[in-house]
Amino acid sequence: MNRPGAPATAAVPAVERYLAEITARLPGPAGAHSGIMAELRSGLLDATDSHQAAGLALAHAVQAAIDEFGSPALVADGFRAEIAASHARRVAVALLATGPLVGLLWIATAAASHLSIRITSPWQWTSPPAGLGVGIQLVAVAVVVTAWGALLGIAATGRLTRWLPACPRRAPTAAAVAGFAAVGADALGLALLAAALATTPGKLAPLPAAAATAASLARLLLARRAAHRCLAIRASLT
Amino acid sequence: MRAETLKGHLDGILLAVLEPGPGHGYAIMEALRVRSGGQIDLPNGTVYPALHRLERAGLVQASWSEAGGRRRRVYQLTPAGRRALDTERSTWRDFSAAVSALLQPAPLAVNPS
Repeated sequence: MNRPGAPATAAVPAVERYLAEITARLPGPAGAHSGIMAELRSGLLDATDSHQAAGLALAHAVQAAIDEFGSPALVADGFRAEIAASHARRVAVALLATGPLVGLLWIATAAASHLSIRITSPWQWTSPPAGLGVGIQLVAVAVVVTAWGALLGIAATGRLTRWLPACPRRAPTAAAVAGFAAVGADALGLALLAAALATTPGKLAPLPAAAATAASLARLLLARRAAHRCLAIRASLT
Repeated sequence: MRAETLKGHLDGILLAVLEPGPGHGYAIMEALRVRSGGQIDLPNGTVYPALHRLERAGLVQASWSEAGGRRRRVYQLTPAGRRALDTERSTWRDFSAAVSALLQPAPLAVNPS
């Protein structure tokens, strides 16, 4: 119910100040919480309407609604775990979605380079660059850690949460581990590429190598940023 | 009733409040107050994160609706939410029966002398 003096959508300064205090306590940019703030705003205005209907003047009705909502710190505490979960889930899904793509580009690079080497000088592969095998194994380990971390991050934030004991730090931790493992996988891939360039210059297929490099570089930078943010959000959880 | 007392039961209570039909945050708070005879009076702002958690768990689904020029996020139970509510109910019945039995004044011990 809307009564005169409490417009349905117009900003009520005291409500906006209260919401700003909550936003300031939430991790991430203010714009990321616009949905939460819109929902809280409508709840506060509904409560204001109710108090006005009971006979309070607008200013008192607004204050009563704010008092009933609880302190900004209390409300922000409740949402922080939810924001941590949704950020961790986004990071985990992005890592799982981009992983096979970047992996395919590297496989294409290896296959195309191998082919060109075979056509021109097949004996080159009899003595692969030193450490290549170890490097590939390390990449495989990093990829497995990324996939497990991301899957755990998704499991800890979706429907499985109803059967898992509550632990708000689980998802951001898993997503951060997955993010840093992805950084490791991409950095190792790029290092192997650099080693191949140094030991067998001119043998790499340039197009797939350039595409794989660009994809890995982009993912490395984004995954590093996302993982750091997961850690920051994790640290903000009480 | 303090929030700590409700800890562990708020999810079930919110599901029960949504059982008759969909509702938005403030309506849910009002229903909590009325249906508990005023005994449950939580800070309104703490119910919203709980609703988001239930949504993430797939127990409720939310959608925006507009009425009277105001946009509200309306929640409703999913089939999984109804099943979870049934489980909560039977768990609560067993728990409250056991605690009630334990809290009964014990019969006076027979003095052997």
